[in-house]
Amino acid sequence: MIDEANFFPWLDGELSDDVAAEVARQVAADPELQRRADEHRALTAGLRNAFSPVADAPLPARLTDLVESHAAEKVVSLAEARERREARTAPLWKQMAAMAATLALGIVLGSQFAGNPTSPIQTEAGRLVAGAGLESALYTRLASAPHEDGLRIGMTFRDRSGAICRTFEDKSASGLACRDRGDWRIVSVFQASEGQGTDYRMAAGANSRLLEFVDEHMVGEPFSAAEERGAQKRDWR
Amino acid sequence: MDPSRTFETELVALLPRLRRFAHGLCRDATEADDLTQMCVERALRSRNQWQPGTRLDSWAYRILRNLWIDTARSRSRKRKFEAPPEEAEFVGQDPREQIETSLEMKRAIGAMQRLPDEQREIVALILIEGFGYREVSEMLDLPIGTVSSRLVRGRTALLQMLGGGNHD
Repeated sequence: MIDEANFFPWLDGELSDDVAAEVARQVAADPELQRRADEHRALTAGLRNAFSPVADAPLPARLTDLVESHAAEKVVSLAEARERREARTAPLWKQMAAMAATLALGIVLGSQFAGNPTSPIQTEAGRLVAGAGLESALYTRLASAPHEDGLRIGMTFRDRSGAICRTFEDKSASGLACRDRGDWRIVSVFQASEGQGTDYRMAAGANSRLLEFVDEHMVGEPFSAAEERGAQKRDWR
Repeated sequence: MDPSRTFETELVALLPRLRRFAHGLCRDATEADDLTQMCVERALRSRNQWQPGTRLDSWAYRILRNLWIDTARSRSRKRKFEAPPEEAEFVGQDPREQIETSLEMKRAIGAMQRLPDEQREIVALILIEGFGYREVSEMLDLPIGTVSSRLVRGRTALLQMLGGGNHD
């Protein structure tokens, strides 16, 4: 008699060749098992057949557009629509970040990375760290305080390791920097697409990705203005 | 090739299968396409969590399945006020994109809907999507014995509902 536990794995091609051959022999010799095998094969074929039109049909535009627009950093999605709705009642930091997306103006980031001592992003012992004006802005500016060069700090918070992190933004890029061995290590930079630096949709696209990063890194709440000043006095430690 | 473009290209290539999986889980085409859309959004946002070199399909299927589980409670609440699945209409948002639901598909969806969620997902993954027992066990974080016994119960119930020879 057949080992019942082997019947379906055999039918599904899950058994090793020699065990499968033995089960096949037993099934072939037993009309009742043969009938069961046929029924279940037909059931599986029928299910596959029933659902195959879905896999063969042209994809709805809303699905392919989603991927394409994401590639172009122009995500118009259910999630973002939801985020916008929630923004009205969102915690302060979310509102601030939403505002940052529309207020961004100013200096150019990221175009002249390595080698240029005046570049806002430098490499330091294998890390990307803030250099030039960006470093000084991260050190000295309080969140949301406007500045004539257009570079603004969005929010300040602690990450899971306890390090202080700050978001920064100008018209061409936004990013996140965290304190690391006396430097501001650049955790992420989202650059607006070429030629689209003043397009609000681009800014919002880059910004929503920055928010994802902030969500992932932040522990607790963003710093209040008083907490920020206190942290500044302690050299952001 | 730009690795991020590869990710997007591969994700688009997976969409027909993901969509079919969603149709296997959901009670109608609209719900299935909503679920697929949520899955794509989540996959795009979480792309950093996917490790290149591992299988994108298992990763994406897992996302879709978890989203489906996450929304199960509100779904079943909503259903109390709606028609039973057999009477559900299969209306897409854009008629040109609507899946032409054959009688076979309606019957199959109706029968799948009568399976408990934990059997339906395994039947969909193994019998319809063609994954192996071990792949599903890893995808769903379930012991392989659990996968195999749920599959037996699910397919036995389906056979009683649909019969074995009526689909060909």
